[in-house]
Amino acid sequence: MANNLRKSVLLGQFDKINETIDASVPHKPTLTNRHEDSSEEENDTLGELTNCNSLNFQHHSKSTSAVDDDPVEGWDTSFEARETIISKERNMNFNLYASLPKEHTGNSIPIFIFHHGAGSSGLSFANLCKQLMNKLDGKCGCFAFDARGHGQTTVIDSNVPVKYNQEDFIEDLLFLISYISENHLRDIPIAKRSIILVGHSLGGSICTFTVSHLSSELKRQLIGVAMLDIVEEAAVDALKKVDHFLASTPNVFPTYKEAVEWHIKHGLSKNRESAKIAIPALFRKFASGKVVRITNLSTFRPFWDTWFTGLSHKFVTLPTSRLLILAGNDNLDRELIIGQIQGKYQLVVFQDSGHFIQEDAALKTALTLIEFWKRNDNKNVVIQTNWGQSKK
Amino acid sequence: MDVDMDVPMHDAVSEQLTPTITEDVDASGDDYQDIDFKPGSSGIADHKASKPLELTGENINQLDKWIEKLGKCEILSEDDVARLCKMAIDVVQFEENVKPISVPVTICGDVHGQYHDLMELFKIGGPCPDTNYLFMGDYVDRGYYSVETVSYLVAMKIRYPRRITILRGNHESRQITQVYGFYDECLRKYGSANVWKMFTDLFDYFPITALVENKIFCLHGGLSPMIETIDQVRELNRVQEVPHEGPMCDLLWSDPDDRGGWGISPRGAGFTFGQDISEQFNHTNNLTFVARAHQLVMEGYAWSHQQNVVTIFSAPNYCYRCGNQAAIMEVDENNNRQFLQYDPSVRPGEPTVTRKTPDYFL
Repeated sequence: MANNLRKSVLLGQFDKINETIDASVPHKPTLTNRHEDSSEEENDTLGELTNCNSLNFQHHSKSTSAVDDDPVEGWDTSFEARETIISKERNMNFNLYASLPKEHTGNSIPIFIFHHGAGSSGLSFANLCKQLMNKLDGKCGCFAFDARGHGQTTVIDSNVPVKYNQEDFIEDLLFLISYISENHLRDIPIAKRSIILVGHSLGGSICTFTVSHLSSELKRQLIGVAMLDIVEEAAVDALKKVDHFLASTPNVFPTYKEAVEWHIKHGLSKNRESAKIAIPALFRKFASGKVVRITNLSTFRPFWDTWFTGLSHKFVTLPTSRLLILAGNDNLDRELIIGQIQGKYQLVVFQDSGHFIQEDAALKTALTLIEFWKRNDNKNVVIQTNWGQSKK
Repeated sequence: MDVDMDVPMHDAVSEQLTPTITEDVDASGDDYQDIDFKPGSSGIADHKASKPLELTGENINQLDKWIEKLGKCEILSEDDVARLCKMAIDVVQFEENVKPISVPVTICGDVHGQYHDLMELFKIGGPCPDTNYLFMGDYVDRGYYSVETVSYLVAMKIRYPRRITILRGNHESRQITQVYGFYDECLRKYGSANVWKMFTDLFDYFPITALVENKIFCLHGGLSPMIETIDQVRELNRVQEVPHEGPMCDLLWSDPDDRGGWGISPRGAGFTFGQDISEQFNHTNNLTFVARAHQLVMEGYAWSHQQNVVTIFSAPNYCYRCGNQAAIMEVDENNNRQFLQYDPSVRPGEPTVTRKTPDYFL
């Protein structure tokens, strides 16, 4: 019974996708609401050696043997909708998580668009988005997606080589921002939209370098960029030592649960509530029951040197408000030290947090982002002065 | 939570989420509730005198010994720091919010724990007490000798109270020092947070502005939209942790800007102010200009707003890697000004900046 139901939902969805493809409207969404989501389980039977990049939507839909654990379980506690956005130009099926503002009162509605770092996924922001929605009484938009090579975002035509240059990530983000703006934000008056780009690690670099490519219309709606735990100099250093990290990080675990535990034990996650959603999303379950890391970090190697060059300078000179949140001790490079003491951006340090700030310190990050929005949104702020009121 | 967009910023912010608009959030919330981190927890201000400390032969002798030790870059014992801070409170608590200063005086900006460069400063500017000094805050954090630097300046302040003035900077704060080095340095050098508690309790009493011959208004950061006249500074209750907003916060955090009027500061605290604001403030208060620190300037000093504001920065090669010159400003008996620039002091064992590589992928 349940299987039949699942099958019919799945088939219905498949039809919808085909319609979309047939209509040749590359940007049209296929919405998945939380009740239908069980059909999105990763029913992969292709064997553990299969790289996610070679799997396209058909593979997902046609596979029939059910595996009970949903790798993206729990997304619906943080987001209203999950959606596959097909872009033939980008050769990608983007997996997007979205929550829309529940009302449009007030003259500024913050729209947070998140970009995760290398090896992570959109669900890294799940707990943070939940906190933002809570603290803002649902009066904000939150959009997080899986970048190419990550999570449930897949390649359409696997015969076309996939690149991971900075510009490829930027083009993806530009595409998604336009898509979100044209579709999800349609009902929000343009004058009320206050877009804030939030990027973690590599995502911070992508957000920063994306700003100058935005249309003038979107630039007007953008009120700030927030980078989470990324410093150019430290990032370049980290890449030099990445082999050690890759060698010491297992890619296969017997269960999702053990994957979560390993990440917590090794300090890669300090917040169990966040980890329960964010870590399983990094893995795909195979017929054997084992879970295998989706992203093959070493495939990015040829593209590393495009990721961070010039980031610090670009960030401190962005033509919008700038927030940098760092974990542990601040390890600013020269450009960021000078930028900080010259007052070019806001620096916040969460000493107790690990690298995944949005997961480890989800609430503090949410409060900081809200304060950042409130302070820097010119629709929002009236500077009070008593000058001219007294004397003379 | 209040998200009413019609509420002006000050009202909106007064309903604080947490003190998130400062450089440091970590000291907020639960951590800050810790009794140890509350103002006054060191006890150094428990028995304040009712009149300024009088220098006796005995305490001059004591101070000179401390100064000699600190002059060799050696730290005082924890007990001596306690004595030092108690004496200092009985000096600075009686100073006004706007400390009147006579010429000649040499005005200095950020030092940031660069002890050896402070010694260089005294070589360039002349030894205290032969030269009168006015420091505009930020003695601690970032550099590796915050303890020695602030101990030395405080000892000099007690020993020569009419020769040296030490104002408060935004880094003379519990929250900021927990993130940018002073707290960790105290733990490292003393094995506990006691010395940090004593100094941060003392910082609450530092004066926040100075007025040289009624003509040069000196402070760490800049102007405030809530402070139109210098008399309004005199009305503030300054003895507290640096607040996250409001006039006292602004005086320690604001920056001049090329844009006119008031602006939101990218720092997350204080405001930016344009030339129109500086001109009006100087006109209203009958000033020649405003002297402030707070921002690194590559030449060590920089005029802005058509000589309505000067920025002075006295930490050469800031953080041992920024490559900037430092400067101090001499104002002589005739109110003539001269800037003295200097480079980092040469010394053996220059700290090399080692940075821990992150152990994660990106």
